[in-house]
Amino acid sequence: MSMREYVVRRLVYSAVIAWGVLTATFLLLRLGPSSPADRYLANVAARGQNVTQVLAAIEARYGLDKPLHVQYLDYLNNLVHGDWGWSFSTSMPVMDLLQRHWVYSFQLILLSMLFAMVLGIFLGLYSAVRHNTRADYAATFLSFVGISLPNFWLGIMLILIFSVKLGWFKTYYDTSLPMFSLANLKALVLPVMTLGTGMMAAYTRYTRSATLENLRMDYVRTARAKGLPERQVLWRHVFRNSLLPIVTIIMFDLGSVVFGGAYLTEVIFGVPGLGQISFNAIFADDYAVVVAVTLIGAIVVLAFNLLTDVAYTILDPRIRYD
Amino acid sequence: MGRRGFLRLCGGAAALSLGCLQPSKPSGPRGGLEAFIEGVSAGDAETLNWILAADAASLGYVSFTMDGLATYDNQLRLQLRWLREPVEISRDGLEYTVPLREDLRWTDGNPVRAEDFVYTMEHLMFAPWLRYTYAGDWMEEVDGAQRFVEPRVVDKNTFAIIRERASPEFLYTVMGLLVYPEHIAKRYEGDAEAFTRAEELNNLSYTGNLGPYRFVEWIRNDKFAVERNPDYYLGREDGAPYFDRYVVKLFGSPAARHAALEAGDIAYTSVDPPKVGQLMANKAIRIYTVPTNGFLLLDFNQRNGWAGLRLREVRQAISMAIGKELLINSVLLGFGEPAFSFIPKVSPLHVDEGLERYGVGALYDKSRAREVLRSAGYAGVRLRIVTNSGNKTRENVAFLVKQELSEIGVEVEIKLVPWPTLLRKYLMNKTPGSDQPPRFNNGPGAVSEEPWDLLVIGYTTDPKQPSGTEIFFATDGGLNSSGYSNGKVDGLFKRLRSPEALDEGRRRELYAELSRELSVDLPVDFLAFQYANLGFQARVKGVEPGISTTYNYQWWRFEG
Repeated sequence: MSMREYVVRRLVYSAVIAWGVLTATFLLLRLGPSSPADRYLANVAARGQNVTQVLAAIEARYGLDKPLHVQYLDYLNNLVHGDWGWSFSTSMPVMDLLQRHWVYSFQLILLSMLFAMVLGIFLGLYSAVRHNTRADYAATFLSFVGISLPNFWLGIMLILIFSVKLGWFKTYYDTSLPMFSLANLKALVLPVMTLGTGMMAAYTRYTRSATLENLRMDYVRTARAKGLPERQVLWRHVFRNSLLPIVTIIMFDLGSVVFGGAYLTEVIFGVPGLGQISFNAIFADDYAVVVAVTLIGAIVVLAFNLLTDVAYTILDPRIRYD
Repeated sequence: MGRRGFLRLCGGAAALSLGCLQPSKPSGPRGGLEAFIEGVSAGDAETLNWILAADAASLGYVSFTMDGLATYDNQLRLQLRWLREPVEISRDGLEYTVPLREDLRWTDGNPVRAEDFVYTMEHLMFAPWLRYTYAGDWMEEVDGAQRFVEPRVVDKNTFAIIRERASPEFLYTVMGLLVYPEHIAKRYEGDAEAFTRAEELNNLSYTGNLGPYRFVEWIRNDKFAVERNPDYYLGREDGAPYFDRYVVKLFGSPAARHAALEAGDIAYTSVDPPKVGQLMANKAIRIYTVPTNGFLLLDFNQRNGWAGLRLREVRQAISMAIGKELLINSVLLGFGEPAFSFIPKVSPLHVDEGLERYGVGALYDKSRAREVLRSAGYAGVRLRIVTNSGNKTRENVAFLVKQELSEIGVEVEIKLVPWPTLLRKYLMNKTPGSDQPPRFNNGPGAVSEEPWDLLVIGYTTDPKQPSGTEIFFATDGGLNSSGYSNGKVDGLFKRLRSPEALDEGRRRELYAELSRELSVDLPVDFLAFQYANLGFQARVKGVEPGISTTYNYQWWRFEG
């Protein structure tokens, strides 16, 4: 099977899975015991009004009183025509909401991944090459600390040290800064460190163990016996082979962190990204937002999985699609 | 409730009977204009299209751009805003005449007229197509049927609202009135979806000179920003407001909010009790401890809870065993005062005399409480106390109650549940076997899905119109989920809504009698009125701390 055939087949599977995710999310939300009108319950009752009547009126305002299958078909029809619905918890079209907020998540995740990948892979390689030395022990210790630190604790500590005590950074992310500016980059330093530290520590461990495993392989001994310089052995042979499992993990992380994984960091630093948007939408029963975020999340994960598989063949020509 | 929500809900007061009408105004700003950032941890608003809002945050955001008819200072004295003079109420309490200032303008320069207010009421708030959530506030029962009050234009700057039956506290509803420009809102009339999505209504572009600030941007879950309104009708003489921008910044955690105040990144936020001491030591920060209208209580389930809770002496015994001073010192860290009834001390309708002070002094007596339970035939009782998880104060109160009651032989099991679960499974009820939709009060035979005995929760009382608390304590009160019933209490609430209470002195007497009856009968154990701690950068001047600290925020300024 050619790569094109393989990709087309995967895309078809992905479309079916995405539709399944959309349908399941829509039904689960709409069949659940709570209603988007629930947030009005206490206020309505507090005014001595007939809760049932008022809630029914509110549901009618948002079209939630129609039969479920009609709501579902309406939703699908609108979706096909580019209308992702109206978010009643934020009073704006869902697509406008996501368009305004994805960029905050994107820049945070992108920089965190870069931070984690560059530092993690470098430290892992260094640690493996200096196996059982003080440098290796120090890197191992640091990576265990990094894995153990909860995001919310690390974030607060970074704020207290670098913002409150030292005054180097603002305590929260400022959305009024121009996106492509040094000030914005500076504002992202602490959130990136918070989100990236755990991932960096994990990549250090994975890289170290994968590199150590490869360093013991026969082909490395052969390369050295042939008189190849150590740098060439490491970068051209060991590093490339060690990357395979790391790429899998990074792609998996990227998929999971995009929608939800960055939530705590977003909360701590006040970054209005998709993590916050989706969690708030869940609690507000704002199904249009939840379905949209879940669907886009599913598409992103499917896309990254596909990219991972394609990346395998580039990194290791022995891997085939059949 | 948020502070702006409180301001909005406060509405108005009996203007003729209240004194000082002049807001506190400084001579003008001495420092340069800059942004004022307020940090909050509560949820974001839902909409700026105010008629669709059901939450306090939405109305709070809108209030930056639209003052409303009037507000109240810390002594609950009326402060005029859009009103030219106080609302006039006819002797029989049936007609409310509302005179507007003549210099109010929409953004397009058109004057704000009485017709706009009457249109907003008749065609939007009272219209079935838009389904205004709080339309019920504007209805009265006449000949057994619910009908809307009647708004009427008197002249271009005056309108009247006519009732058929007097309601002494309806004035506060009137004072909460906001307005849409008729010439803009008319474009969407009859089409709820178009009205909901209308851009000019959702971005407050019509608000003209009606408030100290103009809308700039609202980034969901991040911030709401407004800029100084140079045309502000109250700013002509002194140039108010004095901030270039006012930004409400949302924080996901109190810790981050406190850190922002400490680092000087925000100018104002509320401070949690454990942080007060540390921040007070910081000279750049000023902490004001102010009373609130919220109180903590222990509710007794008289529906499907332990049968003993239906007896007054048992409720008294339980209340006698829970130390209020202990609770205030250990849970609220000193930021509160004992409650014996539902009216806070800051209210002019609060009466101290004659209240039974269960839980303090001689009425904090565990031996007597144990004896009362024993003589009532109750020994070895096991109760289930429930509260919402995530609210540390309430959780700690539940643990303290467990500890206190264990000393009189009552074993308590604590159940912490999420807020939506608490509402649906514990507080909503229905009569078994009936097809009633679940409500918070479905009548005397109704029971909750999950059984409970005690509940730790918080209520609020509007200090100007405490009768709103009827919803919790009247037999048919909309939020009387515990099934409490007392004919005398029902009667007093009814009289407070009758023409009899139009007389201020009589109204006060009725509230005093009601407070006494509740302090004895104890539908709930009133635990403590909570204080709030407000943290400001010390260079913010013009703040008058009190129950209504933000009433003059237009005149706050930076100095130094």
